[in-house]
Amino acid sequence: MTPDSWSMGIWPYLALILFGFLPSEVWRFLSIFVAHGVDEKSEVLEWVRAVATALLAGVVANILLTPAGALASVPLMARFAALALGLMVFALTRRSVVAGVATGEAAIVLAAWWFAP
Amino acid sequence: MPLSPDKPDDPPAQTQLHWAFKGFLVAARLPIFVMAFTFLGVGSLAREAGVPLGAALLSTVTIWAGPAQVIYFGALINGVALPAIALSISLSSVRLMPMCVSLLPLLRQPTTSRLATIYIVHNVAVTAWAESVRAIRDIPPNRRIAWFIGLTHTLVAAACIATYAGYVLAAALPHALAAGLLFITPIYFIAALARNAREPIDWIAMSSGLVLAPLLKGVVGAGLDLLVIGVIGGTLAWACQKHLRSRSTKGTGPS
Repeated sequence: MTPDSWSMGIWPYLALILFGFLPSEVWRFLSIFVAHGVDEKSEVLEWVRAVATALLAGVVANILLTPAGALASVPLMARFAALALGLMVFALTRRSVVAGVATGEAAIVLAAWWFAP
Repeated sequence: MPLSPDKPDDPPAQTQLHWAFKGFLVAARLPIFVMAFTFLGVGSLAREAGVPLGAALLSTVTIWAGPAQVIYFGALINGVALPAIALSISLSSVRLMPMCVSLLPLLRQPTTSRLATIYIVHNVAVTAWAESVRAIRDIPPNRRIAWFIGLTHTLVAAACIATYAGYVLAAALPHALAAGLLFITPIYFIAALARNAREPIDWIAMSSGLVLAPLLKGVVGAGLDLLVIGVIGGTLAWACQKHLRSRSTKGTGPS
């Protein structure tokens, strides 16, 4: 399977729908039946929301634990320190997401520049 | 004021549009930039994978989940078999299910058709969920869909432009900026979760996710570990909240 075979005719589009779109979309589709009859204020919904929150935090931790590309050159401690710094500024600025993200970004760019290979 | 413009029988089309525009404004603050940076990466990855530009754009409007797209094009580059790609994408997108389930009861109205419901859940992705799960409660119920579609379509449009730009330019960024680009997703998601957090359950769920991820790394098979993190962390947070509530009701007497 060379990259060449992916650029032929309709095949790249078809492969994307069959092996990319459908396996992903099936969960959105199934959620309609799961959500059916779930009340907006129910405890089940509260649990589901907590699961989604923990899951997303897990995604973030995984990205920082085993990052790709340029981020991997920044030491693990510095990655989490930048995250903590961003959260601290977020808390100090009365929950400003923009301020938190900007601070974390500045920290990571500086760290990447400092630890550049 | 006999002719108040705020009376309930406003022209419905106008107010729907008004709320769709409010959704646009929510997206236009920070999420649109996060989207743009994420999908610049997706676009450049798609080019490396050798698929045509059309397929890169199609992946953004159909899959509409950054991590799944990264898996797809990344696996194509590494020559992974298509059924194996499909499995990892499916595992990565399981996380969309609790997000859809938690949003749908707030969005759907009794009059919403099945087809419209399918279209609404298709637009649910991590950023859209993080922006709406808390804010949607402040929107009048019959305007929530308009607001949500305004928000998500703005994000889709931004993502498409970024996919295109990433594919066409695929510019070699300086090392430090490339690291910053990759860091924007984690820092934004964690800040958005912190902003949404109001009750102990939110804080416990968020921190247990962060703590469980390194603990479970390598213990559970790749792809499934996120699901385990979500269920354990979410259940723990939910149980703590229940415990705290029952204690506080005991303290203040019957209610």
